[in-house]
Amino acid sequence: MILDPPAIASLYRSHGHVVLRRARTLLGSEADAREALQEIFTALVRNPDAVRSAGSIVGWLYQATTHHCLNTLRKARTGARVLELHVRPGLAESGGPRGEAAAEVRRLLALLPEDVAAAVVYHHLDGMTHAEVAELLGCSRRQVGYLLERAQGLWDRAEQTA
Amino acid sequence: MNLAATPLSWNSCLSALRLDRWMMGELAAADSENVGTHVSACAACSAAVAGMRGVREEVRALPLPAALGRPAPRRRIPPAALAGVGLALAASLFLVLRTPPAAERPKGSGLGLTMYVQHGGEVRRAEPGEHVSPGDAVRFAVSTPTPAFVAVLSLDPAGKASVYFPQASRAAQVPAGAEVPLPLGTRLDGTTGQERLLGIFCASAVELEPIREALERGHDASSLPADCQGLRWSFVKR
Repeated sequence: MILDPPAIASLYRSHGHVVLRRARTLLGSEADAREALQEIFTALVRNPDAVRSAGSIVGWLYQATTHHCLNTLRKARTGARVLELHVRPGLAESGGPRGEAAAEVRRLLALLPEDVAAAVVYHHLDGMTHAEVAELLGCSRRQVGYLLERAQGLWDRAEQTA
Repeated sequence: MNLAATPLSWNSCLSALRLDRWMMGELAAADSENVGTHVSACAACSAAVAGMRGVREEVRALPLPAALGRPAPRRRIPPAALAGVGLALAASLFLVLRTPPAAERPKGSGLGLTMYVQHGGEVRRAEPGEHVSPGDAVRFAVSTPTPAFVAVLSLDPAGKASVYFPQASRAAQVPAGAEVPLPLGTRLDGTTGQERLLGIFCASAVELEPIREALERGHDASSLPADCQGLRWSFVKR
């Protein structure tokens, strides 16, 4: 199997929606979601082996999107910390209480360790069963249960200290 | 806040991953049928799938990222050359069994299978029966007047059958169009001799393993499910 730029362009047309839809949910920004879409497929041109060795193209795109978006959320958190003296609190929040709650979820995701945050995304934001999460994370279902318990604990603690 | 009840939490009974895999033809036949039956009866999952399809159309309308470039222009074949190509097509590319009765199908099936070959740095459109080399990269494009579930299988000179496209257990959905490029290409191995290809166009995401096994046993035509049509192609590796 070869994945040259025309083949990846075709993959972009057929499977790009998997990335864009999830990036919109995870990032809450149309511009950032489109950037995620472009960057994930552009990175594939540089390293086509990444998807070639994957058992499922959809599964690989879920992993790549989750990784990219969690990194983006962490970078945004770091940037916000650097700029906090210059930004009015809550400036980026919009959409009423529901929008604020969604922004809070993203802020908390940026605080969690990568594997814990990924488990939260797959289980709660994508509705996956523990078995599906285990398949994407490459771990046991028991480990998924542990990660989700840990996530809820860290989440509760972060809310209390907020 | 309970993690299971945030504004971003998933609300359908089937997971997004399962619905995406179903839409992209990655599920096994029985599983796919179960999901299809559920989606048609479940308002939440049906709405989720409608949303997914909407985003798919959005992405198709977006410009390609610069690194992926513009698709290569389709090569125009001079009318004078078409007569010769027509003879070659008659010899090497033909509709196989399991086509609907003539009265049920429009004049001409409109189905087509095209192969592109990359040899060294040069890419050319291959003609049926053409000579290619081990190590060449090949990629396929299909023409279909209606959306279809498509697969390309091969029987190599050693009698081994494999699935070139898709990299999944079931045929993958392809939109209607002329010479729609299939996402994945293949690099040819070192086995020399004539290689036979079977492109199949189906109304559903058929399971490919029975078709691959039948191809290996030499029963490709009779093995096609009732809702499939097939096109044969061949090339010679030397």
